[in-house]
Amino acid sequence: MSLLEDFAAALLASDQACPAGLFSSNGADPASRFAVYRNNVHGSLINALATAYPVTLQLVGDEFFRAMAGCYVQASPPASPLISEYGATFSGFIQGFEPAASVPYLADVARLERLRVRAYHAADALALEPQAVLQQLQTHTELGTLHLQLHPSLATLDSRYAVVAVWAAHQTEGAIATLNPWHAQGALVLRRGLEVKVFAIDSGSVAFIDSLNQGAVLEKALAHALEASAEFDLHQCLALLINQAAITHLSLEHKVSP
Amino acid sequence: MMTLSFLQTPSAAQVPGLPLRAGLGLKNEHFTEVLDTCPDIGFFEVHAENYMVAGGPFHHYLGLIRAQYPLSLHGVGLSIGGENPLNREHLARLATLIERYQPQAFSEHLAWSTHGPVFFNDLLPLAYDVAALNRVCEHVDQVQSTLKRPMLLENPSTYLQFQRSTLDETDFIGEIIRRTGCGLLLDVNNVYVSCINHQRDPLTYIDALPLHAVAEIHLAGFAEDTDSLGERLLIDDHGAPIDNAVWQLYEHVLARTGPVATLIERDNQVPAFSVLLAEAQQAERHLSRGRP
Amino acid sequence: MTVKHRSLSAASLVLALSSALSLSALSTSAHAADDMQKCFGVAEAGKNDCAAGAGTSCAGTSKTKDQANAWKLVPAGTCTQTPSTTSSTGFGQEAAFTAKS
Repeated sequence: MSLLEDFAAALLASDQACPAGLFSSNGADPASRFAVYRNNVHGSLINALATAYPVTLQLVGDEFFRAMAGCYVQASPPASPLISEYGATFSGFIQGFEPAASVPYLADVARLERLRVRAYHAADALALEPQAVLQQLQTHTELGTLHLQLHPSLATLDSRYAVVAVWAAHQTEGAIATLNPWHAQGALVLRRGLEVKVFAIDSGSVAFIDSLNQGAVLEKALAHALEASAEFDLHQCLALLINQAAITHLSLEHKVSP
Repeated sequence: MMTLSFLQTPSAAQVPGLPLRAGLGLKNEHFTEVLDTCPDIGFFEVHAENYMVAGGPFHHYLGLIRAQYPLSLHGVGLSIGGENPLNREHLARLATLIERYQPQAFSEHLAWSTHGPVFFNDLLPLAYDVAALNRVCEHVDQVQSTLKRPMLLENPSTYLQFQRSTLDETDFIGEIIRRTGCGLLLDVNNVYVSCINHQRDPLTYIDALPLHAVAEIHLAGFAEDTDSLGERLLIDDHGAPIDNAVWQLYEHVLARTGPVATLIERDNQVPAFSVLLAEAQQAERHLSRGRP
Repeated sequence: MTVKHRSLSAASLVLALSSALSLSALSTSAHAADDMQKCFGVAEAGKNDCAAGAGTSCAGTSKTKDQANAWKLVPAGTCTQTPSTTSSTGFGQEAAFTAKS
C-alpha cells in the first residue's frame, strides 16, 4: 500500500486509528495531530451539507443533522473537487436513514433544497418575453405539435407531503406552528434572473413540465398531465411558465412520437 | 521534456501580474457590497472551484467585479501533491476559467486532496522525498504547459510530519521552483502555523525559501488547539484576524522581498466587509513602508 | 378511460388554448399573480444567497466535534412543532422512533 493510501483510508475509517509512519517533532502522539486532518475532512464536508440543506437541518436540529451528515460523508464521500455538486445523493440517503423515519417528509425537503442549489448555478439562458410567447401561441395553428424549451435551471418535484409549504414555513417567522405537511404537493424550482424561486404546483403540472423538459410536444405533455391529474389546468400552468420567464424557445416539431 | 519548454519563459515572479498592493478573498456574501461601494482594493482572489459552475449569480458578479479589479485565481482541488495523475477534466475546467476571466495570477497548493476515487476537501500533507519531488515537478510542468502560463505554488500548513521525508520542506519547495520555473505564493500564516506545530524557527524557515520567486503573499488567522502533550497546536482555519506574530513575520518577509501583492484570507466566520477592508489597509501600510 | 379518449381531450384542450391565452395576454401580470397565488401557492421567500450551497475553502475547520452517534439521536428541530398526522402510521411523532443500540 502506498503512503497516501494509508493516510486516505484512515481519514474516512470509522475507528480512530492513525496511519503508521507519522510523527510530531515534540513527541506528541501522532494520533492527536492526525485527528485535525480527520476533523477537517469530516467537518468541512458536514459544513458543506449544512450550508446546502438549511431547512433540512432546521427540521431535525443541528446535532441530529450533523450526525446524519457524518454517516453520509462516510458512506458517500465526494468524488469531485466541485463542492457545489456534493450531496446530490443526500436525499436518497435520508430516505433510507432509519433514525430520520419519524420525519417522513425530510428527504423530499432535501430534494427541494438540492434543486435550489442546482438552479442557482445552472446555465444562463435568455427567456422569451411573455408577450412574445403569447404572440407565437396565438399565431401557430398547430399548437399541439409545439415544442417548448424550458430554462436550464427549471426542475420539478412531486411529493406525498407539502414539501413547498414546509420549506416556505422556514423562510418566515412564526409560520411553522400552523404548518400542515400531511398532504401531497408538487414543487417547481427555477432561477429568474439571479433569483431562485420555488412554487407549489399540482401533480398534473409536475407531469406536464417534466414531459416538456423531456422533449415532448405540447399535446403529448398535456396528455401526460391529464393522466396524472384529471384536474390539470393547462391555462394556469402555461401562464405560470410564461409569467416566470421559464420558456426559452418555441418551435414546431413534426417528429413522430415514440 | 516538458520542463525545457518552460525554461524559455520568464519565471512567475517576473511576469507582470498582480499589483503590489493588498487584496481580499472575494466571498459571495460581499458581491453586491463590492459593486455598490467600489472599495479601493488592489485585487480580489477567488477559489477556482467555486466558479466551475455553468452560470448564475457567481459568474454574473465575478464578471462585473473582474471588469473593475485585477483577479487572482486560487485553486484548491488540483491535488498537485497527490500520487495519482492530475485530473485532466479538472485541468480543462481550470483552463476554461482562466480563458474566461484572464486572471493576473493562478496559484495552487503543495498538498494533495484527492486519492483514488475520493476528494477529501482538505489540503493534506505529503512526505518530502525524491519520488514526491519528481512527481510534484511533473504535475507543475503539466499545469503550466496546459494553462500556458506560470503558476504559483503555496507552501502548506501542516500538523504532522512523515518519517519517510528526506528533504526539508524549504529545500523541497526551492527545488520545485528551480526545476519548473513556477512562482512561490508565500503564505506567512502557514509558515507560522507549521513552524509552531513542528518546533521550527519561522525566521530561519523563511530565509531558507527561494524568496526571489515570491509573487504573492497570503495572510490569515489561525485557531489554537492542543495536542496529546497539551502543547500548542495551531490550526490554519482562516477564521480569525491576522495574529500579531504573523504581521511581524510579514514585515520580515517584505524587508527581504520588497513589496509583494498580499492577500487577506478569511474563509470561516466571515465578518463584515469593512472588517476585511481594515485588515487590507493594515497590509497596505506595511507594503508602503517597504517601498524605496 | 382509453388512450384515444385522453389524446382527444388533450387535442381539444390545446385547440381551446389559443383563445384562452389571448385573454390572459390582456390581464396584467399583477392580476395574474393574484390568481396564481390562489391556484399554485407562491412561495418565493428566502434569502437567495442561501441557494448558492457551499463553496470550497483552503482552510481547516477547527474544534468541531462530530462524534455524536446518529443512531441514538432523535430529530429535535422544527419538525417537533409541526402537527402530527392523524393517520394511524404515527408519522411525525417522536414516539414512532426506536433507537438502535
